Amino acid sequence: MTMRFLFINFMAGMELLSDQGLRLDGRRANELRKIRCKLGVFTQPDGSAYLEQGNTKVLAAVYGPHQIRVKSKTMFDKALVNCQYSMATFSTGERKHRPRGDRKSQEISMHLRQAMEATIKTELYPRSQIDIFIEVLQADGGNYCASVNAATLALIDAGIPISEYMCACTASLGNGDVPLVDISHLEEVSGGPSLIVAARPLSGQVALLEMSQRFHLDHLPKVLDRALQGCRDIYNILDQAVREHVQAAGSAAGWEGDVAFAS
Amino acid sequence: MAAWSNTSLLQNTGLPLTGRSRFISQSGVLWSRDIRPDGRGLLKFRPIAINIGSISTADGSAIVKIGNTAVVCGIKLLANTLVVLSSAAEDGEIEVRISELVAPTPTEPDIGYLVPNVELPPLCSPKFRPGPPSDQAQVSGHFVAELIASSGCIDLHQLCIAPEKMCWVLYCDIMCINHDGALLDACIAALIAALRTVTLPHVDFDAETEKMVVHEDRRKHLEILSFPAATTYAMFEDDILISDPTAEEENLCSGVLTIVVQGSQLCSVHKPGGSPLSETQLQDCIALAHRRGNSINKMVASAISSPER
Repeated sequence: MTMRFLFINFMAGMELLSDQGLRLDGRRANELRKIRCKLGVFTQPDGSAYLEQGNTKVLAAVYGPHQIRVKSKTMFDKALVNCQYSMATFSTGERKHRPRGDRKSQEISMHLRQAMEATIKTELYPRSQIDIFIEVLQADGGNYCASVNAATLALIDAGIPISEYMCACTASLGNGDVPLVDISHLEEVSGGPSLIVAARPLSGQVALLEMSQRFHLDHLPKVLDRALQGCRDIYNILDQAVREHVQAAGSAAGWEGDVAFAS
Repeated sequence: MAAWSNTSLLQNTGLPLTGRSRFISQSGVLWSRDIRPDGRGLLKFRPIAINIGSISTADGSAIVKIGNTAVVCGIKLLANTLVVLSSAAEDGEIEVRISELVAPTPTEPDIGYLVPNVELPPLCSPKFRPGPPSDQAQVSGHFVAELIASSGCIDLHQLCIAPEKMCWVLYCDIMCINHDGALLDACIAALIAALRTVTLPHVDFDAETEKMVVHEDRRKHLEILSFPAATTYAMFEDDILISDPTAEEENLCSGVLTIVVQGSQLCSVHKPGGSPLSETQLQDCIALAHRRGNSINKMVASAISSPER
């Protein structure tokens, strides 16, 4: 167990935003952390992706659609989506004794499944199963969001049809009234509110919304707005990565001309 | 377009042939010229890529890729810390870590612990299902633990803080993120590479008051006395021996052999059943393992000393 006692100058003002408008890691209020991602990183899974959001590093692997393992869960009209979220024991500041199976991981696994089910075209694969495995190598806040983003990329890499990208982003309030996007672990534990949104960025449809702490109802629209804008920004980055990946794969296979995309 | 499951051409025949014959029937021409499906010769190795220290939450980390097999090793230090007195006091932050009490065992009061653990999560291969650690994970974990203990590559006395009172525990978690054969080779390489980057903070232990002061800024490297390196071979019937098998080849083979060497010494030979091997073949394997061990260690050394890290 770790107890971080942040000393007086932190406790008093909860200064997530300095006078110059800079956050603890030097970002502006509406700046996302640097996202680096790569599709098709591994050979064994049908689809895989690696995503870094700031210092949070996440791996996603997708297997399927394949035969359902537990016959009793067979659904006659759609595929079963099975998600497992796991954190490496060395991913957090203090060694994590149980990489999976603890309540938080199970909750995140369930939320992940709910978010991805909202976008995977499960009706195309009745009586089968799609597995999504997430492994967090380094956790620095926004683990759930990085997992959703990585899972989206892995699904695309596996060729599983999805209605739209599923992007997730966090938002918070700094200094009581300035919405912050994409909060890091330090900002999470400083006690401010945190809103997690998983949404289809183009249509603006929210699949999952989770909030902790409390703030005044008047602030909700702008925080939600900031989170959705974050999702849209993340979508642009992920889409760019997908297009580059397909371009690279295509040119290696000798496709000619531009690759046509359905928008 | 329906999604494909990742089956390879070789496994898709549906014919119940023995290992080598299966290979021959698919790539007949290739095998008769001693070329494997991935273009390698029978005793050639896959390229190795090593990345050190990329996981900043771990006290030491390494990622090793042998061909497509990728393994991450993260090392966490644990001790009973009461107060951290270091230069961090300037920015007003004092970190109080209360972790499990770690006292040395009564029979060996002046050594610390090194706890290796091998994890084969379901994401690394379709063979592994979610749930408790598979047999292979447990066997690999045990193999690594035995190897570290018997090879004497780490002197556990340096992990002792105060005899009979306090010691360091090194939790070494080795996680496979893509399983494409030769798992033990990658695990050992990743573990040794990560151990070489771990630094122990200096600790002042007052025996009378039993208070410990950890100086995070004064750190020293672990002293590693030798560098074991593993090489895996796969055997097929008709006396075919190949080195560094891929997952496909491991599935189809009739036996595996893992040899661990350190420097000029032979550390471990692990041959869990399988078709028999002649003595000359074994000697050849050991000689080849020595050469490969040297090249792995050179690579790890250059990765550690590289300035970009």
